[in-house]
Amino acid sequence: MNWKGNSLYLRLALGAQVLFFAAWGGWLIVSRNTDSPEFYLATEPVDPRDLFSGTYVALNYEISSPRGGRCPRRTRDLGRLFVKLEDKGKKAVTKTGEVPVYEAADCHANPPQEPGWAKAEMIYRFGGPVAMYGIERFYLNENDPRKDARSGSVLAKVKIDRNRNLVLLDLVEKL
Amino acid sequence: MKAGMASYYKKLKADLEASAGAGIITPEQAAAVYERVMAGRTFASFRAAHWIGAAAGLFVALGIILIVASNWDQIDAATKMFAFLLLFAGVGEAAIRLDDKPAAAVPLEMVWFFMPILGIGLYAQIFNLSGDPVKPYLVWAALATPAALLSRRPFGAYICSILLFFTLYTGTVSHNSIMSLAASRAADAQPLWHWALALAVLVGGVAVYPGKKLSLPLGASAIWLFVMLLADTAIKVRSSALILLSGMSLAVLWLTWGSEPEDDKAGLALKTWLGAVYVMTFFWHYKGDAYVNRSASDTAAGGAIAWLLFAGALLSVVFRPQRLLPAGDKDDMPAKILLTASMLCSFFLFDANEATAKALAIVANLILAAFGTVSIMSGARDSNEKQINLGVAVLTLTAVTRFIDIFGTMLKSGMAFIVTGLAFGALAYFVNKGRKALIESVKK
Repeated sequence: MNWKGNSLYLRLALGAQVLFFAAWGGWLIVSRNTDSPEFYLATEPVDPRDLFSGTYVALNYEISSPRGGRCPRRTRDLGRLFVKLEDKGKKAVTKTGEVPVYEAADCHANPPQEPGWAKAEMIYRFGGPVAMYGIERFYLNENDPRKDARSGSVLAKVKIDRNRNLVLLDLVEKL
Repeated sequence: MKAGMASYYKKLKADLEASAGAGIITPEQAAAVYERVMAGRTFASFRAAHWIGAAAGLFVALGIILIVASNWDQIDAATKMFAFLLLFAGVGEAAIRLDDKPAAAVPLEMVWFFMPILGIGLYAQIFNLSGDPVKPYLVWAALATPAALLSRRPFGAYICSILLFFTLYTGTVSHNSIMSLAASRAADAQPLWHWALALAVLVGGVAVYPGKKLSLPLGASAIWLFVMLLADTAIKVRSSALILLSGMSLAVLWLTWGSEPEDDKAGLALKTWLGAVYVMTFFWHYKGDAYVNRSASDTAAGGAIAWLLFAGALLSVVFRPQRLLPAGDKDDMPAKILLTASMLCSFFLFDANEATAKALAIVANLILAAFGTVSIMSGARDSNEKQINLGVAVLTLTAVTRFIDIFGTMLKSGMAFIVTGLAFGALAYFVNKGRKALIESVKK
């Protein structure tokens, strides 16, 4: 049987592709659908563009260099890490009023089963270790004025999903 | 080279028509011979309409990607995802249903090929995903490969192969991807499974490539391996001798294995080998290893790979038909000597100093001069005009470079040009004399 141009096999390949995206989309929706609290993070944005996804604001965070508690000080401690995020009293003013800005309080490779721990990947970048949370890009319409946001002028509204991943919900301008 | 091949096909057609006109063969036979020869071309099955169709599909796919990328934030996420899944299934199904109508199927297949990366881009936009830059390309390749391989046409498989090699190069050289092999700092070693993934992508890129001739994927693999030897990886080499040994061995391996003996041209592999030998001629100015990164030394694995490449290349030269000169067996010995000499040159650089480096440069110049001369003689013998031209071009380039490079002053360079011109004139005289003698011997 010649498998080149075989419509049955081609449909199976197409079905697998569509199924992949349906499953991935479903998983993304379900994993984010939690009632965990939403909070704010201080950001340091720049504005590049992605070839396939369009304009985005690239975000660095203060928590990208987590300090305090058991957070690593040596540059060799790379790989998976969990960072405890909590309100330590820092505030910012937005359109909706004054909001708490969360900060890193502790780090651990195997954290306790309690809320507030976010998954991070420690990598080496720009001359030092950096914690990447998977929230380093916020995509927006090419005409959205927030794409020109200056460093320190916006806050990232986030929450922690079922798998302890930080989810980026919105980019909020500070007043 | 393509222009050369085009003129060959044009001439062949004219000759066949003339033969048919003279009654030597029938017009049907002439047409059959021409069809058979044309069918052997790499893109023989790609008619002009197919190319236009492929371009149409590519433009439509890029257009859809850009429209999606503009980020219609007034449409909610679920609608966007549902619309994407519908479009994906629709494009794929239409491509399958219209498979026997190339004008529609080719553009549709092209759009289908780009649908996975379109989806990845869309999902990243909807969910603000970020992270490893290589993962989207790997997922795209993994999703697109089965359909590309199952397709009756080779377009998808070609792009898939290019995609895999692109991912291999960018992923392995970067510092922070699941395929990165280059350390971000001198002390860092990348995990072993990164190598497994990189090698799987490499094998995938070669395996998916639909062309019968493997010269291009083999060349891409050879260059990648050389880049890995140069970069700060677990197989890095830092000494000039091992860098040169591995580079020349890879060039010889590509030339030897990159094309079948019946092919009339070695193409890019030959040009790469010539380029590598040409680069060696500049060792005349070598002042020691000062500008080689001394922060690290050769790794054991890198050294072992360099020697293995050399051994493999040497065995290939000995046991494989030579591909340096188009005459095959007739020029076997000079070609094999030149190939072997080009690799052995690097031995000058073990415990290198200015004197040995100058010796290396002289030998490299001699190799080029010998190649040029043998090419002219071989071309004259077999009435291969292109081979003669190549020989003259190599000799001229080598001579001109050396005169400007070494002599410096106008007086000395001018004298050298005159001497070379006279040498060329003498060579042309003897070549012509040999050709006439050959014609006379045939007449008798």
